[in-house]
Amino acid sequence: MSEAPKRPVQAAFSPEDMARRNRRSVALALVLAGLAVFFFVVTLVKTAPAILNRPL
Amino acid sequence: MSAAFDTIETRSDGAALTSTGEARDFFALLKPRVMFLVIVTAMGGMAAAPGAIHPVLGLAALLAIAVGAGASGCLNMWWDADIDSLMTRTARRPIPAGRILPSEALAFGLTLAVGSVIVLGLVANLLAAGLLAFTIFFYAVVYSMWLKRWTPQNIVIGGAAGAFPPMIGEAVVTGDFGIRSLVLFAIIFLWTPPHFWALALVKAADYGRAGVPMLPNVAGPAATRRQIVVYTLLMAPVAVLPALMGFAGAIYLFVSVVTGLAMIGLSLRVLRTTEGEAAHKAAYALFGFSILYLFLLFAVLLAENSLGLMWALPKAIG
Repeated sequence: MSEAPKRPVQAAFSPEDMARRNRRSVALALVLAGLAVFFFVVTLVKTAPAILNRPL
Repeated sequence: MSAAFDTIETRSDGAALTSTGEARDFFALLKPRVMFLVIVTAMGGMAAAPGAIHPVLGLAALLAIAVGAGASGCLNMWWDADIDSLMTRTARRPIPAGRILPSEALAFGLTLAVGSVIVLGLVANLLAAGLLAFTIFFYAVVYSMWLKRWTPQNIVIGGAAGAFPPMIGEAVVTGDFGIRSLVLFAIIFLWTPPHFWALALVKAADYGRAGVPMLPNVAGPAATRRQIVVYTLLMAPVAVLPALMGFAGAIYLFVSVVTGLAMIGLSLRVLRTTEGEAAHKAAYALFGFSILYLFLLFAVLLAENSLGLMWALPKAIG
């Protein structure tokens, strides 16, 4: 007879743990937003001269 | 909030699969104080380079270099978590303190390492990206995984990892590196042994408990003190070279001579003061001042080259 596959056990988070995880999620969102701005600005700086100098 | 969200996944043996570490714990994994020195030294390399870069691209490249340095610090903390938990200086770090899981630190470090190299390649050039990748590899693999627990020369050879940022900085600006960043490399390379061995003299018991073969534990405090003086005597004249070679000016010459003499004085105090609390204080003084010394050298180099403060000296070399 085969054993049932082991599944991850679920343990409870305390309210303090949840607050810490929420703050972590907010920080991650801010970093991702910052990265989006970063890539946008770098792309502008890298490509803008070529766009401005192209033959019309 | 739904109860389904208030749970933590654990393995079948009860170990957690996710931590409750906060953003500041992840930031601590990047060794922010080391990152700061890396930024300053990389900026020094960029400022001393014969060329110019768009300021936005320069800042973006600096960010990538800083994140790459942070990634190598994170991978170092992941690998060394077992010995960090045995040492008083490092026991409160996020992994040994249980705030971050080792698997999370590994994933975080690898992601930042790959990301920083790719971004530097796109923002600057492939040489700079390749140097950053090699620096991360050297620190995380050659130093942390191999040298650190194997030889008392660990921080001498491993010091190369900390010395690469000025070369990366010059590569960012010029797409190449030359004698200028090699001199800056040599300054940091020769600065590393007196800096770390001063700390190792104070923390010898810590390193002994963790089984890390630092020089004071292997060769003894007396030999370590002599080696500190030798490396400081080699480093101080090399630190003056940027002014003599013409890529730093009169302010740098003054600062490098005065602070270099102070480093020599402090190292001689470490050599002479061998007993009790006074010996610890002498070693701590050298350790603390060495950080200020390196910061001052590169900050002045940066200021002179970027703020028009370069009062050039008659060129002696190059």
